[in-house]
Amino acid sequence: MTDAVADKAQIRIPAPDKAAQLSAVDRAQIDASVRPLVLWFFTTGLLWLLVSTSLAVVNALQLVFPDFLGFSFSNFGRLSPVASVTFSYGWCSMAAMGVAAWLISRLSSRPLIGKTVATLGAVLWNVGLLLGVISILTGKMSALTGLEMPSSAYAVMLSGLGLIAMCFLLSFRNTGEKVSIAAMFVIAGTCWLGWSLFAGNLLLATNGVNGVIAQLVADWTNSGFVWMWLVPVSLGSAYFVIPKVTGEPIFSGPLGRGCFWLYIFVAGLTGSARLAGGPIPVWLSSLSASAAILLLVPVFGSIYNLIASCRGSRRTANSPSARFTLFGLGIFFSAVLLNAVGSLRSVHYMVQFTLFDSGVAALVLNGFVTMALFGAIYFIMPRISGCEWLSSTLISIHFLGAAYGTTMGSLMLVFSGLASGAALDAANTSFRQVLEVGSSYYWGRVISFILVGLGYAAFTLHFLLMALRVGQPGGEPTLFRDAHEH
Amino acid sequence: MSRSGFLFPILLIAFATSLGVTVLIPHAQLGALTPDFKEEDGLVSDVYPNVPGGLAEVGRQVYVSEGCQTCHTQIVRGGDSADVDRGWGSRRTVARDHVTEHTPVLGALRLGPDLSNVGSEKWRNEPSDDPYKPAKRDASWHLKHLYNPLAMGEGSIMPSYKHLFLVRKITGTPSPDALQLPKAMSAPTGSEVVPTPEAKALVAYLGSLDRSHPLKEAGKATAATTPKK
Ligand code: HEC
Repeated sequence: MTDAVADKAQIRIPAPDKAAQLSAVDRAQIDASVRPLVLWFFTTGLLWLLVSTSLAVVNALQLVFPDFLGFSFSNFGRLSPVASVTFSYGWCSMAAMGVAAWLISRLSSRPLIGKTVATLGAVLWNVGLLLGVISILTGKMSALTGLEMPSSAYAVMLSGLGLIAMCFLLSFRNTGEKVSIAAMFVIAGTCWLGWSLFAGNLLLATNGVNGVIAQLVADWTNSGFVWMWLVPVSLGSAYFVIPKVTGEPIFSGPLGRGCFWLYIFVAGLTGSARLAGGPIPVWLSSLSASAAILLLVPVFGSIYNLIASCRGSRRTANSPSARFTLFGLGIFFSAVLLNAVGSLRSVHYMVQFTLFDSGVAALVLNGFVTMALFGAIYFIMPRISGCEWLSSTLISIHFLGAAYGTTMGSLMLVFSGLASGAALDAANTSFRQVLEVGSSYYWGRVISFILVGLGYAAFTLHFLLMALRVGQPGGEPTLFRDAHEH
Repeated sequence: MSRSGFLFPILLIAFATSLGVTVLIPHAQLGALTPDFKEEDGLVSDVYPNVPGGLAEVGRQVYVSEGCQTCHTQIVRGGDSADVDRGWGSRRTVARDHVTEHTPVLGALRLGPDLSNVGSEKWRNEPSDDPYKPAKRDASWHLKHLYNPLAMGEGSIMPSYKHLFLVRKITGTPSPDALQLPKAMSAPTGSEVVPTPEAKALVAYLGSLDRSHPLKEAGKATAATTPKK
C-alpha cells in the first residue's frame, strides 16, 4: 500500500479510510512523540531566519549607503557572508531537519529512535553555527568563498549533524512495498550533507590541498549543500505534502524515481561552473555547464509529476501547504532554467561574477527551499499541536510578503547582474558607468527584503502561537478561504 | 522486509562520482604544480609565484578578515572576456598563479574591479582613452582610498575602512604617515589621520599583487598589455 493511501485519513475526508495502516490514535501518538524535537528545530530555524533577514536588510542598504553601520564587525564584507550562512545553515537547515525528522517518523510509522541524542545534535549544530558567525564578525573568516566559517565551527556542527543523522537513519524503516519517493529524497539529502561537509573539511585540512584546488573543494561542498541537501529535502517534502492535500497518490511513481536517480547523479556535477574561464581546467567548467543543462530533465520531470498530482483537486488552491509548495516549485522551475541559460558559454562570460548568480541562488533558497519548507511546516504544526492555525489573514500576509518580496528581490539581483555584466563586458564602458547601471536596482532590493521580512515576521508570530497550542480547534484545516468541498 | 537497501550503495556511487570528477581528478591534474623558475648551472632564479611572506602576508590576512573578497575577485579571465581589455591584467590567471597560497582569495563577485594585478604599474580601471589621466596607485593613494573611497573619485560604493586608521591630536611635528586628504574629508584642525599597522600591511599586500609574470600555460600576453604612455 502506498503512503498516500495510508495517510488519507489525515486530510479529514469525511468517510474514514478503512484501509489505513495506522489508526488515527497511533498516528497522533507518533506525532506527539516527535513534537519536542521538531519544535526545537523549527524554533531555532525561525530565530536564525529573523536574524538573517534583518542582516540582509542592512547588507542591502549598505550598497546604497556604503557606510551604513560600517563598524569593523558589521561592514559589508563581513555581514554579507554572515547573512548568507545564517540563512542557509541556520534557517534552511534547521527547518529542513525538522521536516525530515517528522517525515521519517511518519513514513516509518513509528516514533523516532534516539530523539534525545538528536536534540543534543541540534544544539551542537546551532552552537557551531554561532561560533562560525562570531568568527566571521570578529575577522576570523576563511578566504574560501562558500566556506567562510572556520573549520573549528564546522567541526562542532558536524558532530551535531552526526548525532542527528544517526537518529534519522536508525529510525527509518520501509513500511510500503517500495521506499516512498519522499523518503528517498530526504534520506539522500541527509547522507549527502554529512558526507560532503565531512569530506570537504577533511580535504581542506590535508596538506596536499591548496591553491585553486582548495576553492574547488569549497565550491563542491557548497554546491552540494544547496543542490544535494536543501533541494532534495524540499522536493521530498513536496512529494509528501501534495498527495496528502489532494488525497490522491502521486501521478507517476516510476517518473518520480527515475527523476530522483538522474537528479542525484547530475546535480552532483554542477558545482564547478562558477570559475569557468579562470584558473580551472576547461573540461571541468564545460562538464559542469553541461550538467547544469542536463539538470533541466530531472527537475522538470519532478515538477511535472508533482503538478500533475494536483490535477483537478480544489483542495490545492486553498490549502496553505499546497500553495506554498506549488509556488516554490514554480520558482524552482525558473531558477533551474536561468541557471542553465546562465551556464551557456556566451551568457556565462557576461553574467559571471555579477549579482546574477546571487539572484539564481536567491530563487533557489528563498524562493523554492524556504517556501517548500513553509508549506511543510503549515502541514506539520497542526499535527503535532493538536489544533489548527489561528488566522487565515496571517497566512495571507505571510504568503504575499514572502512571495512578492522574494520574487522581486531575486529579479532585482538578476537584472542588476545582467545590466552590470553587459556593461563590464564592453571594455570601453568606464567602471563608474558599470556601478551606475548595477546600482539602479539596489533600492528595489532593500524594499523587497522589507516585504519578505514582514511576511516572515507574521509567520513567526503565527508559529509561536501554534507552538503554545493557541489556534482553531482541531478538525478543520485553516484554509486561505472557507471553501468546504462537501 | 525493507527494500531500501539498494538506496545507499547507489547513493554512494553518485557521491563518489561527484567528488571524484569535480575534485579528485582536477587535483590529480593540478595538484603537482610547482612555482615556475629558471635554472642555470644549478642556480635557481626568477621564482614565480613567490612564497608569500613578510608584511604583504600580514596584509593578506587583513584583506581576508575584512571580507574584501566579497566585492573583489582575483581572477582574470581569458577567452572572450573583457578582463584583459579593461586593464585588469596582461594575461588570464591560471592555477599556477595560486600554488603558494593554502587558500586563495579568488572571490565570487565583482562589485568592485578585479584586483589580481592591482599592484602592477600597468593596472588600470579606466578605459585606455580615458580623458582623465589615471592616477598612479601608490601606497598613499591606496591609503586615502581605504580611508574614504569617495576621496579618490565619485560614485564609489566601496565602504570606507576608517577603523583601520587613527584620528589623533597632533603633538609636536605632524606624523610623516598622515594622510593628505581633501579639505572636506580631512580630520579637524589640530588632528591628523594616520594608518594603523593593519592598514599599512593591507596596502603592502595590494602593492604585491602582480601576476603579470609570463607563464606558458597562460598563453601569449595580448596587445592590451602594452604599457600606457
Ligand atoms: C561593497 C563592496 C566593496 C568592498 C567590501 C570592498 N570594495 Fe574595493 N572597490 C569597490 C568598488 C565599487 C570599487 C570601484 C570604485 C572605487 O574605486 O572606489 C572598488 C575599488 C577598489 C580598488 C581599486 C581602486 C582603484 O581605482 O585603483 C582597490 C585597490 C580596492 N577597492 C581595495 C579594496 C580592499 C582592500 C577592500 C577590503 C578592505 C575592499 N576594496 C572592499 C567595492 C568594494
